[in-house]
Amino acid sequence: MRRRWPKTVAGVLITFVYLLPVYWMLNTSFKKPADIFATPPQLVPLAPTLRSYADAAFGNPAIAKGLANSAVIAIGTTLVTVLVAVPAAYALARLRLRGVSVVLMLFLVVQMVPAVNLALPMFAIFSDLGLVNSYAGLILANASLAIPLGIVLLRPYFLSVPGEILEAARVDGCSTFTAFVRIAVPISRPGLITLAVISFLGAWGEFVFGLALASDENLQPITVVLAGLTNAFGTRWNDLMAVSAVVALPVIAAFVFLQRYIVAGLTEGATKS
Amino acid sequence: MAITVPQERLLTSRTTLRRNNAAEYLFLVPAVLFVGFTVLYPLAYNVVQSFQDVGIAQIVSGQAKYVGLDNYADQFGRPEFWESFGISLVYTGGTVLVTFVAGLALALFFHRDFPGRNVLRALLLLAWVLPTVVSANVWRWLLDGTYGLLNTVLGTEIFWLGAPSTAMIAVVLASAWSFAPFAMILLLAGLQGISGSLYEAARIDGAGAWAQFRRITLPLLKPVSLTTVLLCFISTFKTFDTVFLMTQGGPGGATEVLPVYAYKLAFSFYKFDVAAVATTMLLVVPVVLSVFYFRSLRKEELA
Repeated sequence: MRRRWPKTVAGVLITFVYLLPVYWMLNTSFKKPADIFATPPQLVPLAPTLRSYADAAFGNPAIAKGLANSAVIAIGTTLVTVLVAVPAAYALARLRLRGVSVVLMLFLVVQMVPAVNLALPMFAIFSDLGLVNSYAGLILANASLAIPLGIVLLRPYFLSVPGEILEAARVDGCSTFTAFVRIAVPISRPGLITLAVISFLGAWGEFVFGLALASDENLQPITVVLAGLTNAFGTRWNDLMAVSAVVALPVIAAFVFLQRYIVAGLTEGATKS
Repeated sequence: MAITVPQERLLTSRTTLRRNNAAEYLFLVPAVLFVGFTVLYPLAYNVVQSFQDVGIAQIVSGQAKYVGLDNYADQFGRPEFWESFGISLVYTGGTVLVTFVAGLALALFFHRDFPGRNVLRALLLLAWVLPTVVSANVWRWLLDGTYGLLNTVLGTEIFWLGAPSTAMIAVVLASAWSFAPFAMILLLAGLQGISGSLYEAARIDGAGAWAQFRRITLPLLKPVSLTTVLLCFISTFKTFDTVFLMTQGGPGGATEVLPVYAYKLAFSFYKFDVAAVATTMLLVVPVVLSVFYFRSLRKEELA
């Protein structure tokens, strides 16, 4: 037992060094403008200030709008993804026919499609349908890749639901739909949480669709707004890091609370598909 | 408790089961329609566009002429296209290499049993899920020529994003930093599948750590390693955001990977037709690679 603790110390060190960029972002975001350029660099902000957060991150209307847009898009994407992917994953876990493997293969392959390959034609297609510069268009675009991923990720969870329970429920008069909602979905809750978190975070951090499909500044997600501000901020690294930290905040929060689910989900999805 | 089911109820339940199976097919319909509309249709549309003459006027009017292979001839005859293709291969190759080595090193370390291991593993994934805009900004700051932390640590004064070769190193570094924890998770799953008794037997036979790694870990990890490399290749080859956000493809086109090249053709020059040629190539490479991969897998299974 005694020999395991040095490994923990080494592990903490490795993790800290690996995540140094994240620390450096937070560190810089709390510095005064003059302190950013101190030599040697301050490893801990000596005179920490929330100025960058007050002025740049939360005091800038363009950024507030971008954050709100991203929230709408990410929540919408999560809802659509869960509603569409969950029943499909269930069906693909339950059905035992040759056609199933073809459909499953399709969903696996779709995940390899580059976002740029979809963003370009979507611009033309969505222009026709009036979906460019709309939340609906951005939600559709984001869900396009989240749904196949969700199906592949969730299927192993539904495979682990014993078929006997579902059949017993049906014999007792449950319809396919109620058996699915009352039995299969609750058992697969960890997978559902993983899927919801991953699709939310994916849409929150998405950049290409936002860039290609939202030229209207009132509809741009925060990622596109931030990319646009990057040059305007010049060497105000503290402001840029503060905004970056705010964009990273939901991701970090989701991770702190849900890391167990996410890691389990990823491992299952990666090894059992 | 024994349950006796009356014969007639059994019959009806069996027919219900058959009907239910059909209902389960219905569960697939939304997903198939959705993927059809948002993935397959755009992809087909893209391929069609690559055979048409499409500029901004045609996007607005929705009417385009077919020009056969003209767009392909145009792109394949351009040195910029091949340069961009080569840059994509260098960027992808470098990123896959660094990602795999770093991911394997992390996996080997975090495979060992110690308190707090699971939390630390999960924390590392933070690098992977961080929005690219955030990590791109952070890396630009770390790589700043005058005040960047990396230069301070190394004692250098390199304007990383200012020169072609160092800009490539910079985007590879930033991409590998995000991907390596994901590679770690995949490889960890592979390591868990290797029986500990093999190592015990090797130790009894006097094999050192390196011999164990070379003779047991590497060969048995091969299938998972191949999958990891393939997945990493596919996701790097199509990466747009990291490169676009860090260098915009510069300096002087030195990091203009194929996705950035295609995006610029479409949205800076409104040449949607030749952009479609570039994005089609973006699909062809991973598909060809996957076919070879699945073939080799099958061969291994048969052997």
